[in-house]
Amino acid sequence: MSEILFIGLSLSSILLLIALGLSITYGAMGVINMAHGELVMIGAYTAVLAGIYLGLNLFFALPLAFLMAGVVGLLIERLVIRRLYGRIIDTLLATWGVAILLQQAIRLEFGLTFFGIHIEGLGPGLQNMAVPGFLTQPFDLWGLTIQPYRSFIIVLTLILTGVTWFLMYRTSIGMQVRAIMRNPQMAAACGIDVRRVSMLTFAYGSGLAGVAGVLLAGFKTVQPDMGASVVVDGFLVVVVGGVGSLFGTLASAGILGQINGSIAVLTNDILARAVVFGVVILLILWKPRGLFSMRSR
Amino acid sequence: MTITTRGIAESLAYGGFIAAILLLPLVMDDVFWLNRIAKYLVFGMLGVAIALSWGYAGVLNLGQGLFFGLGAYMVAMSLKLQSYTSLQQGSDTPVPDFMLWNAEPGAPTDLCCINQGSFLWIPFQAQWFGIVMALIVPTLIALALAWPIFRLRVSGVYVAIITLAMVLLVRLLIIDAQPITNGFNGLTDLGWLTIGGFEFDPYLVETYYLVAVSLAIALLATRWLVSTKAGLILQSTRDDANRARYLGYNVAAYQVFFFAVSAGIAGFAGLLYVIAAEFASPSFMDLAFSISMVVWAAVGGRGSLLGACIGAILINTIEATASETEVLQEAWKAIIGLVFVLVVLFMPRGLAGVALDAVAWIAPKRKLGPAPLAQQEPAE
Repeated sequence: MSEILFIGLSLSSILLLIALGLSITYGAMGVINMAHGELVMIGAYTAVLAGIYLGLNLFFALPLAFLMAGVVGLLIERLVIRRLYGRIIDTLLATWGVAILLQQAIRLEFGLTFFGIHIEGLGPGLQNMAVPGFLTQPFDLWGLTIQPYRSFIIVLTLILTGVTWFLMYRTSIGMQVRAIMRNPQMAAACGIDVRRVSMLTFAYGSGLAGVAGVLLAGFKTVQPDMGASVVVDGFLVVVVGGVGSLFGTLASAGILGQINGSIAVLTNDILARAVVFGVVILLILWKPRGLFSMRSR
Repeated sequence: MTITTRGIAESLAYGGFIAAILLLPLVMDDVFWLNRIAKYLVFGMLGVAIALSWGYAGVLNLGQGLFFGLGAYMVAMSLKLQSYTSLQQGSDTPVPDFMLWNAEPGAPTDLCCINQGSFLWIPFQAQWFGIVMALIVPTLIALALAWPIFRLRVSGVYVAIITLAMVLLVRLLIIDAQPITNGFNGLTDLGWLTIGGFEFDPYLVETYYLVAVSLAIALLATRWLVSTKAGLILQSTRDDANRARYLGYNVAAYQVFFFAVSAGIAGFAGLLYVIAAEFASPSFMDLAFSISMVVWAAVGGRGSLLGACIGAILINTIEATASETEVLQEAWKAIIGLVFVLVVLFMPRGLAGVALDAVAWIAPKRKLGPAPLAQQEPAE
């Protein structure tokens, strides 16, 4: 039983990790960022490249990936999304194009393949990131076998959730973000620099995707299209949890992860995912605004 | 009916397009390319389906691949049973080869009981059954899906997310039901569609005409449908569902009906695609494919049936040409991505919008109706 719980918990934490950034960019800003998965991918490649060229391990790659994905996110916001606020479906389509561009940038090594230049660590092939040894040895604690890397992910995810909560609810910039969520016009009228705050918020959400990428790189092969498969899961978590509710995202990641984990143990991975999709459809039909939606407008 | 410049321009555009696709074989005698264009015409039909639900109903269906895929699988099952690979398995009745590969030792070589689900294939021995199912199954599933969605007044981006989850759900079920669907590999080595003794070899001009005429009919029928009273009410629900409700219309019924019509068109497209491409695969239900369809429609013009249709054909033709040009071989995907971004940013009404503006510019004296385009709902 505790085995199943732990599998569910570790699935939940990965879902949460990906959904955390989305709950900010989608939940708070009303932007369906299909390139979110590609920001995850950029985080993973940052870790790979940092390992190859700078000899940095996982822990130093984390802040680096946060910065890298954050900067890319900032550029996406400045160049594309800024023009599309309020046109939610158009943000989906435009960022889908951005996602293709980012994937191809990595695959073609930023176009350098045309000049016959190869950058080690990029390109269409598979890459791996080494996880420090002490995180890979399972150990026993009170009769339970603990997978240290999985536990590390769970703990770090919870810390990041806490930090995000603190930023959103206990700082002045968080208050500005929440004001913009509720009513951008009124927020602007109250003297909030909506453009600047939106840009920073988007960059922060993107940075979280980068961190998720580093952690994913620890147990998945890194490849240009690795992000495409995770972004949908992230969205479903955010929508089920309720737009704009950090707690909702946390709870929904927990619920969906546990459902996925338990059914995967009973049957197989494919059916487990199918059941999760089914549950999501029913939940959205039942409560389109999510399980824990914020009351607004 | 009043004659407007826009009406004339539209009739000319539809007439010109249909004439072009019907006359194409006269100038193009490369059967390989004709087969390709036939596939792109099928994608054009998907563009029509998307424009109907997105442009006219204001309902973005991100799971149109579900109906395309179901239509494709239904007809592919029939054609699989007609294939020589199914007829030479040492029994009197056809049995798909992949079922034999995975059969348990001692299982009888017959559709009734070679594996647990194989009996579902029995009626598909008749080709007409597969064809009819290719139209009925997508429509019925669409009705069953749309009914709760629109009765519960789910709208906007939530419809998109439900349909998206639905297509991925069915995709997984098909992959999981490996014994009867051949899982990831899909249905390949299909026979040819045979009507009245004539075999529709995909590389025959006749097959091209089958697709082209079907597209012309689907295009004109849909255009007629949206100009009926029901079509006008549908457009009013898109612009303001509450207002339509207060006027006494059963908004959900219209939305469900048109959602199902759009699904039926997609199923029909799936049927034609299998005839032209000779396979059905779970990749038809990939997220990327369903989103691509929406992007084709956006490039062509989401508010115009013909625009979305041409957008789909154009993008696919350009993709095929670019991916075969030496210099662009690697870069074409990036270029397509860039085009998507630029179109959404700078041409929100797509090619059709540009064309309409051009018409308005040529004939500035007449009063032209604005292009019917829904305002996107504000973000949450």
